[in-house]
Amino acid sequence: MTFKLALDIDCGIRHMYNALYIMSSCGRKLQLSARMMTTESEIEAYYYQLNEIYNSDCSRIAHRLMYLKDIETTIKRLADGTTLSDIELFEIKYLAILSKEIWQMLTEQSITVIQLPCLDKVISTLDPDGLNIASFYIYDSYSDELREIRKAIRHLQGNGVELTDEQRQELAILLEKNADIELAIREDLSQALCTYASDLQQALHNLSHLDVLIAKAEQMKRMHLCFPKVNTSGTTYYRGMFNPAVKEQIATQGREFMPIDINFNHTPVTIIGANMGGKSVVLRTLALNQLLTQFGFGVAAHDCNINLVEEITLCIGDEQSVSKGLSSFAAEILAIDTIIKKTREGVNILALVDEPARTTNPIEGTALVEGLLQTIDHVKGAFILTTHYNIMNDQVKRYRVKGLHNGVMDYTLQETQCGEVPHEAIAIAESMCIDSQWIENAKKNLNN
Amino acid sequence: MPFINEILEYESLSIVGLEKNVGKTECLNYILNRLPLHERKVAVTSIGIDGENKDQVTATKKPEIFMREGMYFSTAETFYKERRLVSELVDISNERSSLGRIVTARVTIPGKVIISGPSSGTSLQRWIGSMQQLGINLTIIDGAISRLSSASPAISKAMILSTGAAFSSNIDTLVRKTRFVVEMMALPLLEDTSIDLLRDKDNGVWGIDIHDAIKDFKLSSALAINTTDVDITQEMKIIYTAGALTDRLLNAIADSKNIRQVTLVVKDFTKIFISEGAYRIFCSRGGKIRVLQKSKLIAVCVNPTAPNGYVLDSDILCRKLEEALQLPIYDIVKNKYDI
Repeated sequence: MTFKLALDIDCGIRHMYNALYIMSSCGRKLQLSARMMTTESEIEAYYYQLNEIYNSDCSRIAHRLMYLKDIETTIKRLADGTTLSDIELFEIKYLAILSKEIWQMLTEQSITVIQLPCLDKVISTLDPDGLNIASFYIYDSYSDELREIRKAIRHLQGNGVELTDEQRQELAILLEKNADIELAIREDLSQALCTYASDLQQALHNLSHLDVLIAKAEQMKRMHLCFPKVNTSGTTYYRGMFNPAVKEQIATQGREFMPIDINFNHTPVTIIGANMGGKSVVLRTLALNQLLTQFGFGVAAHDCNINLVEEITLCIGDEQSVSKGLSSFAAEILAIDTIIKKTREGVNILALVDEPARTTNPIEGTALVEGLLQTIDHVKGAFILTTHYNIMNDQVKRYRVKGLHNGVMDYTLQETQCGEVPHEAIAIAESMCIDSQWIENAKKNLNN
Repeated sequence: MPFINEILEYESLSIVGLEKNVGKTECLNYILNRLPLHERKVAVTSIGIDGENKDQVTATKKPEIFMREGMYFSTAETFYKERRLVSELVDISNERSSLGRIVTARVTIPGKVIISGPSSGTSLQRWIGSMQQLGINLTIIDGAISRLSSASPAISKAMILSTGAAFSSNIDTLVRKTRFVVEMMALPLLEDTSIDLLRDKDNGVWGIDIHDAIKDFKLSSALAINTTDVDITQEMKIIYTAGALTDRLLNAIADSKNIRQVTLVVKDFTKIFISEGAYRIFCSRGGKIRVLQKSKLIAVCVNPTAPNGYVLDSDILCRKLEEALQLPIYDIVKNKYDI
């Protein structure tokens, strides 16, 4: 799965990407095309790099990276042996100078995780006068003949007075000669630079990668994210897990996000709890953090150790696709069926299902959820669902949102044995200041 | 050498024409040839296409743009490749036009080039910003046919207007139409303490009442005004339209009994799309229009020759325009104005 596809998972990953300040378009391109990492070694290598950037001051480098341009096509044309235009040669020179500048900054900061190839030869080829400025044209010093012709052109063009027909003709011939010599020089330059195409490509790629790392490190500091530990043993724990988007949202109302602790392994997990207790937020955040880890971002928790998976499925019950002619119930059942098939095939999957069978009657709904937990009693990754139904299965781990205490919602999770779900719906509805007669009638019905 | 020194008082200039073939490029060349480049770093761009030697519509001969050594220009990649001068590339912008990316170069050997740069207001503002980063202290924007937007004070601080026989081949009509445009350009700035309330409004129609309280009329634009609605001038001292001002709003206010108490305000003259007739009625009933921003009209240039071959008498035209506009009028082609 590429990061671009992962952005469609409705868990808040897009929010994280929008708040990731990558400076260059090629950095963004690199991140969007990144594949989800699944092995311990590659993820650890990635975080090793990120860690070094995190511990350095890269603000000046980030500022320079704003000027990084995506010239992949130009480099490809150079590698193919095409004669480049002077605009393209300018792009090459610009990249080489920028790369050298950033290489110097990296050296100053003693950053070693990003290596940039030496492009001095490219610079000297495109800067015959040794001016060391990022501008380019076919300099006079490339050819004596060119110098002479240009002298003649300058003499004719002079101060822009009207030319006689004769002079005009002479000028046209000179300009044509000038263009011919420029072409020959561009051919030579392109040929001379051809061997550096792979170095240039490497420089462009590594600079884009650096841009992404700096953005991620900056995001970690700004959003208080942590470096995750990863494993393949099957157990995952989070301490102080939070959802950045929700945290920001409620901070605007002057409230604080209550961090959550959770751990799980191959045994299915059920989360029960009152309405508005943040069960769905927990599921979304688990999906989000799994993606953040496997795409090399900082993770939204105080600390964590995460079991790596091959696939992440988040089923939050709004898969209703009227266009496909399916009701919400049918769409949900089909989505869960896919999860069952995958776990049977032994796919290492993190499957997160929010209130399965919620749209049907409670009696059959309970039966369906219990049946689901009997069917998936052991998964290679992890299987977590939330529910309001009384589930009696033994082979599950149960969490319960602490819920209302003295009219205040406690969102933290606690492990629990009993299957009995909390009965707080009416109290919570009442706290929302809705129609009092409705609440009275509901209470009466409950007591009957 | 008329008006060159005046230009140097500003950091940005736009040249706008009231019609095609009114001598805009002649005017640009006149300026480019005379600017003291040892004093100023100058950059030129165009929101249309400038410097091609044959008109794409009327197939008549057109003046080409001559760039002197040391000047900067921004044009599309396609035209850069066709340049007939030697120049050093200094920047490639991320913005794309239909003719490729926009590149900026400094002229090392003078010559001719076709110029076609950024075209929208915001991209022009970005262009001016990036030129300032290059140390440019005079940016010149060549406007395009019947598009005054580049002359908006939000973009350039000073402007030069080109008019001529191509706009109308009847001297009196030409004078009357030009006078109306110049009148709009010369509308006075709003002088009111509540001016700051209006600056950040980007759309809609707003009012400021006699107690200096701002009111949103909940109209998406002045086009949504219907004369049968309630009178929006009630208790108001200012009516502000952030978008275009059209006859509909103007007439609605002209018909109101409060017309003498209320001032109609627009962002700048480029937002005004009213007919002269409606404006005259509005004024005769005591109405007044003010602007939030204003740019300086430095001069008016005329071209007495129309592309269809019709030629007006330059002296009479200049004299009549001068009388009507109370501004210096220049026929650059005829007078040459050599140094």
